Amino acid sequence: MKTFAEMNFPGRLVAVEGLDGSGKSTQIYLLKRWLEAEGIKVYFSEWNSSELVKAATSKGKKRELLTPTTFSLIHATDFADRYERHLVPLLRAGYVVLCDRYIFTAFARDVTRGCPPEWVRGLYNFAALPDMTMFFKADLEVSLNRILEGRPKLKFFEAGMDLRLSTDPYESFRIFQGRILEQYLAMSKEFNFVVMDANRDVESQQKIVRKLVSEKIDLKKFKRRSPLPLPPSLPAKKDDVTDELGGDKAA
Amino acid sequence: MKKFDSKNCRSFYGHGIPHVKPEQLTGKLIVFEGADGSGRSTQLIRLVDWLETCGYPTVQVGLKRSMLVSEELEKAQNGNVLSRTTLALFYATDFADQLENVIIPSLKAGFIVLADRYIYTLMARDMVRGMNEKWLKNLYGIAPEPDAVFYLSVEPNELVQRNLSKTATLDYWESGMDLGLSRDVFDSFLKYQQQMGDAFLKLQKIYGFDIVDANRPMESITKELRKKIGSLLGKS
Repeated sequence: MKTFAEMNFPGRLVAVEGLDGSGKSTQIYLLKRWLEAEGIKVYFSEWNSSELVKAATSKGKKRELLTPTTFSLIHATDFADRYERHLVPLLRAGYVVLCDRYIFTAFARDVTRGCPPEWVRGLYNFAALPDMTMFFKADLEVSLNRILEGRPKLKFFEAGMDLRLSTDPYESFRIFQGRILEQYLAMSKEFNFVVMDANRDVESQQKIVRKLVSEKIDLKKFKRRSPLPLPPSLPAKKDDVTDELGGDKAA
Repeated sequence: MKKFDSKNCRSFYGHGIPHVKPEQLTGKLIVFEGADGSGRSTQLIRLVDWLETCGYPTVQVGLKRSMLVSEELEKAQNGNVLSRTTLALFYATDFADQLENVIIPSLKAGFIVLADRYIYTLMARDMVRGMNEKWLKNLYGIAPEPDAVFYLSVEPNELVQRNLSKTATLDYWESGMDLGLSRDVFDSFLKYQQQMGDAFLKLQKIYGFDIVDANRPMESITKELRKKIGSLLGKS
């Protein structure tokens, strides 16, 4: 498997991985805001969000229809749809694509559910590897507490209840997350994860994220040709506008 | 046809399904493959009648009939927004859902499962769309090997006639219109069915299914199928 850069795509893909409650979604959101402000062509894609497949997945989850095999396949379908219809064309067009979870989420979860690892990896081998994968590693207790503090209503599959680890959803969640963490750590080296200390506060993590991304990716190559036009509600000085757009001042 | 017994045990094509042992699958799995208009579904109905009259419990499965994704897959196909990997995995999900909820439990209970198409149609469709064969083999490693697979083979020209006389139109996907073989649906249908036939022949060499010449009248095909299934079931 090769990265997008190795396959000569003009775009670059950055993925974040980690347990629920590791803070990865917050970090990638803040990264996206920064890149947008910098005028970078950026696109954000979230695990399990394909317009085409999402309805089936949520039905399967709500009615508890999913087995390890169909759980794996339906998520692979969701990923394939986003990959073929969004990620590949955007990466061909030179975008920086940010993914909240990538194929490693499937590798960790599906194997924890009992699917053969070679089978799961085989399913996803149509996808190129990210150019950078940040793994947000928090102590298990820290991420568990972030999720469980409010005693939320844990969903059946989210808590790994299908694995019959415990009849108590909170206990099941703890065991399940612990096993997923083991899977992540086991593949960290193989897939070149950049391991982030997710026990630290959000701001200092974000500083490191931005630094690492700008070291890894030559961001100025990914700028829009011209900045986005200002929203109409903001009356800007005429001169400023033409300046920014590089337009003809005499016009 | 394979005779599975205690010595010659059924197996999965690959890794199978977690926690399912193939030797538990004591029923019979009989598969019918062939294009729309090959007479597949008609033959299947006739055989169900015959088998049930003879006292065998039967169950039927087919593509796009899963509780999990059949509606969503249908919707996606009508929107023509499916890329090939997505199409392949969507159908695989549909298959796996029926496999785990219908095929495996029925085989465990000793039923005769009649499949109106199986993984071979799915693989052939994906092959024609350029999907990697090794990838497909891994994907469908979840499937148990059937006791018998009948491929009802019909010439593309004959298929056109049968489809038009039935519905007066050629189906978008059965014509492979997503492949861009021709703007003309008639030409596209002929080209696509030719390619599908070639893909089936390739699969036949690997999986060894029974090719039935289905250009013939229905009656004589039914007779042939009854004879073959009868001997599989140990009927004289």
